[in-house]
Amino acid sequence: MTNRRDELAAVPDVIGTDGGEDFGAFATSRWAGLVRLAFGLTGDRWLAEDMAQTALARAYVAWRRVSQADDPDAYLRRILVNASHRRFRRRRVAEQPGDPPETPVEGPADLVGERTALLAALRQLPPRQREVIVLRYWADLTDAQIAATLGCSPGTVRSQLSRALAKLRNSPVLAEGDGP
Amino acid sequence: MTPATEERQLRRALHDTLQSVPPPPVPLEAIARRGKVIRLRRAGAAVGALALAGIVAVTVPALRASHPPAVPPAAPAVTAGPDGVFASGTADGHPWRLAVQNVADPGYRCLPAIVINGTDADPVSPAPGNAASVAPGQAGRGVAFAFIQLPAGVSGVVVNGRQHLPAVIVNACGYRYRLVGFSYPLAGSPRITLAKSYPGWPADVFVPTPTTQDEGLWINTDTAQGVPAPAIVASATVASATVASGTLPGGPGWIIRVQFGPGGDCYEFADSLGRNQMGYCGPVSTPAGPETIMALPLGFGAPGVGAVGYAFPVSPATARVRAVLDNGSSVLATPRIVDGRKYVAFAVPSPRSLHRLIWLDAANRAIASTTAVPQYGYTQFQP
Repeated sequence: MTNRRDELAAVPDVIGTDGGEDFGAFATSRWAGLVRLAFGLTGDRWLAEDMAQTALARAYVAWRRVSQADDPDAYLRRILVNASHRRFRRRRVAEQPGDPPETPVEGPADLVGERTALLAALRQLPPRQREVIVLRYWADLTDAQIAATLGCSPGTVRSQLSRALAKLRNSPVLAEGDGP
Repeated sequence: MTPATEERQLRRALHDTLQSVPPPPVPLEAIARRGKVIRLRRAGAAVGALALAGIVAVTVPALRASHPPAVPPAAPAVTAGPDGVFASGTADGHPWRLAVQNVADPGYRCLPAIVINGTDADPVSPAPGNAASVAPGQAGRGVAFAFIQLPAGVSGVVVNGRQHLPAVIVNACGYRYRLVGFSYPLAGSPRITLAKSYPGWPADVFVPTPTTQDEGLWINTDTAQGVPAPAIVASATVASATVASGTLPGGPGWIIRVQFGPGGDCYEFADSLGRNQMGYCGPVSTPAGPETIMALPLGFGAPGVGAVGYAFPVSPATARVRAVLDNGSSVLATPRIVDGRKYVAFAVPSPRSLHRLIWLDAANRAIASTTAVPQYGYTQFQP
C-alpha cells in the first residue's frame, strides 16, 4: 500500500510559473482568514474550505488583475459571498443534515458550528443579516465596504445590521454578557 | 446592555469562535487545478460563442437567398451512442466496455469520467494528450485496459503494428471526447502508434502499466509522477473537502478529508493538530456501481490512543449509514456532498472495531448491510 500523502500535498508547477509564485504566497497568507470568514458565513466547515478554494481559484484565474487591484482582499470577499449565495441555493436540493450519533461515540455529525451558541444564533438569521454581522464584527469592515461586498447600499447594510442585532438580543450570545 | 457593550461582546464571541477553527494546509494544488478548469470553461464558452456567431453569419444569408446550405464533408471519426461506450470486447473470457459517463449524483453538475464496466471511474478533462490504464481485478485477472485521448487531427491508433483502432467521439456532460480504448495482457506493454503523425506527439504513444496492487485505480500520464505524457493537457478538476470531524474519547480531535479527481478518491485521516496523518487513494465509484470502502488506521501519538477512519462514497439513495461496533454501540453517519458526490466518513476509536455497516434510505429503511469491512486498505461492496 502506497501512502499518497506526499502526492496530496504536492504543489503543481503552475503555481511556480505564470506569475504563480506571488499567487502562492498570496493564497497561503489569505487561506486561514478566508476559511474562517466562510465558516462564519455558513457555519459549515467543509463548505467553508470549499468556498475558500473557489475564491482563491477565481483569484488565480484573474491573478494579473487581482494582484494589481487596490484591495485584492475586497475581490476575494466578493467572490466568497457570491459563492455562499450559490451554495445556499444548491443546498435546497442537497442532503439535509441528519440526526446526531445515537451513542456517546463521536461521529461525523459533530459539526464544529453546532457546539457554540454563537453559530447556532447566526444560523437563525437570514443569509444577508448573517453576512452583515460577520463582515462587521469579524472582518471589521465599514458600512461602505460591506455594501460594496454585498452589492447593496450602505443604508441597506445599516438596516440589516439593526435587524440582526435585534434578533441576536434574544439569543444567549448577547443575553449572557450583561455586565460591564 | 448598551449598544457599545453588545458590539464588543459580539466581536469577542465571533473572534473566539472563528479563531478556534484550525484551517487545514492551503491546498495550492486543488486551487490551481480549479483555476485551470475555470479557464478551460471560459475558453470553451468563448469558442462556442464564436462558432455560433460563425454559423449564424453563414446560415442566415444563405437562408435569405433561398440557396441550399453547403454540405460539409463527412467526418471520418465514429460517434458513440448515448451510452457513451467507445470501446468494448472480451478479454480472458470476460466481456468489457469502456464508456464516458456522469459520476455525479442526480441534481448536481455533470461530472464526466471514463469507466470500465460501469465502475472504477477516471474523471478526466476532454483535452487531448492523456493516456491511462487500469487493472480491474473483477473484469479478468491478468488483463489491463487503456484509453488515449486523441487530438482532432488523428483518426486513430495502431496497436502492436496490426490492429487499427479508429477514434470514437463521445459527447458527455457538454464536453466532446475523442478516444480510443483497448485491452491488453497485463504482463506485456502494447506498442501504440498514431495512425497519422501529429505535431507535438511522439509516433509511439506511451501507455503506463498499472499494478495489480491498485486494482481499479487508473494511472493517468498527465497526473502520474515521472510518467511522460504525450502532450501537455489540462487535467480534470480536483475537489477537496472535509467529510467528517469529531473527537475521540479522551480528547484528541480528528478529521477526514477527501480529494476527488484523476488520482482516485484520496482520503486523509489526521488528528486535528496535524501531527499524525494517514492517507490513501482508492478507485472512484460510480453512483450505481460498487462502493469503495476505505479504512485508514492511525495512531495518535500516545500508547493505546488511536482509531480507524472509514470513508467511502455512497449511492444517491443512501440517506445515512449506521456503523455498528463490536460492543453493540453504533455511529450514525450522514453523507456530505463533495462536488456532487455523496461521501460518508466516521472514526472508530481503539480498542473498538467496526462490525457491520448498514445503508439506510430517507425513510430509515435498510438498503444493504455487510460485515465484510476492511481494517486496513479498501474493499469494494455493491449495496
